Amino acid sequence: MNASRDWIQHEIENGADVLYLRGVWRLSNLVPIVRALQSLGLAPRSHYVIDGSRLEALDTAAGFMLFRHLADAGCTAPMLSARSFDPRHERLLALVRERMECPPASARSRHPGLVRHVGAAALEVWRILKAHNAFVGAVALEIVALAKRPRLFRVKETVSQFQTICLDAIPIVALITFLIGVVFTYLLGLQAQRYGANIFVIDGVGLAVCRELSPLLVAVIVAGRSGAAFTAQIGTMKVQEEIDAISTLGLSPIQVLVLPRLVAITVALPLLVFVGDLAGIAGGMLIAAWQLEIFATTFLDRLHGVLPLSAPVVGLVKAPVFAAFIALIACRMGMLVARDARSVGINTTSTVVQSIVWVIVLDAVFAVVFQQLGI
Amino acid sequence: MEIRPAARNGSAILEVDSVVTRFGRDVVHDGVSFAVERGEVVALIGGSGTGKSVLVKEVIGLLRPTAGTIRLFDTDVWHSDRETVNTLRRRFGMLFQDGALFSSLTVAENIAVPFREHTDLPLELIPALVGFKLSLVGLPPETGTKMPAELSGGMRKRVALARALALEPEIVFLDEPTSGLDPISARAFDSMVRVLSDSLGLTVFIVTHDLDTLLSIIDRVIVLSAGKVIADGSVDRVMRMDEPWIRDYFSARSPAQERA
Repeated sequence: MNASRDWIQHEIENGADVLYLRGVWRLSNLVPIVRALQSLGLAPRSHYVIDGSRLEALDTAAGFMLFRHLADAGCTAPMLSARSFDPRHERLLALVRERMECPPASARSRHPGLVRHVGAAALEVWRILKAHNAFVGAVALEIVALAKRPRLFRVKETVSQFQTICLDAIPIVALITFLIGVVFTYLLGLQAQRYGANIFVIDGVGLAVCRELSPLLVAVIVAGRSGAAFTAQIGTMKVQEEIDAISTLGLSPIQVLVLPRLVAITVALPLLVFVGDLAGIAGGMLIAAWQLEIFATTFLDRLHGVLPLSAPVVGLVKAPVFAAFIALIACRMGMLVARDARSVGINTTSTVVQSIVWVIVLDAVFAVVFQQLGI
Repeated sequence: MEIRPAARNGSAILEVDSVVTRFGRDVVHDGVSFAVERGEVVALIGGSGTGKSVLVKEVIGLLRPTAGTIRLFDTDVWHSDRETVNTLRRRFGMLFQDGALFSSLTVAENIAVPFREHTDLPLELIPALVGFKLSLVGLPPETGTKMPAELSGGMRKRVALARALALEPEIVFLDEPTSGLDPISARAFDSMVRVLSDSLGLTVFIVTHDLDTLLSIIDRVIVLSAGKVIADGSVDRVMRMDEPWIRDYFSARSPAQERA
């Protein structure tokens, strides 16, 4: 009780209830002030005179707490009168009183339950698939428009995209496929050695790298590298209203932004896959020499004899299809960005996930189709 | 030519002394000096690219000036340790041009950030204070549950001001607070700033292009041009100065001025 009297004192003068505010009523002292107000025991719906003659400082947070406690006790504006306040404090209290008819604002984000979360996610997937579908249609129409007026094609933009997608990616693609070639050959070699079937390792490495490993890995790398970049670039442009500006200038955002990327990546991916084929086989050759004592001439001779041309061709045919899917998903997700930074991040993540899933699904489809065709 | 009101008598809340800023070979500020008194509403004006926003960033400790000293609350911002500067940061508020609300938090969470980080208030008090801050800047409490992306430009600025005012600062810096607002919202924002300044004793430092702001709520105006302060005084006195840029700037307004 004693401590609370440091902040507020209740006295009765000539039959009137007077509340003397004391000390520094500031945010930093808000906790003891609130405690003092709570222990005051205000009589409900009675008249109070608030006296500011003993007040040293006042800010809005403290003023708000004072009025809030008075209002909770049923003492509203007509029952209160203020006296002997510093004119600045009086203005502040008037402002606080004018603005304080406010319920507390919850600081919690809305956290949906499990079922709602799953439901919302499912609807979101459906919405994205529908949007992708419409987008593919829009891109197809633009390609038709481009075929009619080839002058619309943006060569410069396409070339610069090609440079970042393809040329700049060669080192990482070569490194990854080389390492996979090394690992694959090593593990295959361990098995083959037991049966004295060393030479057959070459058949296995050639087939696996050219037909499956290189196309798949390169597509995953490009999805993570260029797909994410597309979404982030286009998404940031969306946030800055650059896409609207493009439309306003009478240009088609798909012509300007999507088609150059689509063309560049579709050309780039088969080339990268070819680089991957070479690097993977080089990795295999290194390990074959080191572990199985099959040297380069023997290796190449055997490879030439056993690797059917169809294997690298299958890999190179799959690549542009993967590329088109990555480009369409990435550009679409960029266009879907809302006007805030968080959404750029969410959509970029989504692009990478969707692209990789689609690449693997398509790869499975190709495997079945080529099997049926006997290739 | 230069008008200097009583500045160096020690009651200044902010003192900028011969600040020089260079970016590579570009000289942005070439010896900028002025002072701001407690309780004043001061405007900093100048053409585009005269380094107004840069100056504010230097004052609040985000960007180091090439030379010169900046004293805020009698503390040298650029020759103090981090701890001291961080204590200073609780005593001023900053409203960035586009609000700079944290886009992953709701409006209420945005305003609650300073309370959570810098005070030991019990958690049940914070929502009430957040609601009050919202209504202090003239927003309904339902705004609290919205995400910043769902707000209009004017609302963003109000929320940002509520966040800047959360810790009851002694001075607030407003970077172009009325740009991008319609005239009605802009005037409402101005009068709100003036009311807050008058009743809270708040010092306000506004970077602005808005003539209406200047003519309605500003005590003193500082004009920056070619890296120097070319005028510093009350709006009336600066308006009458015979300097080409100032004349052009105020003449944009003269017809309305005559009507008034």
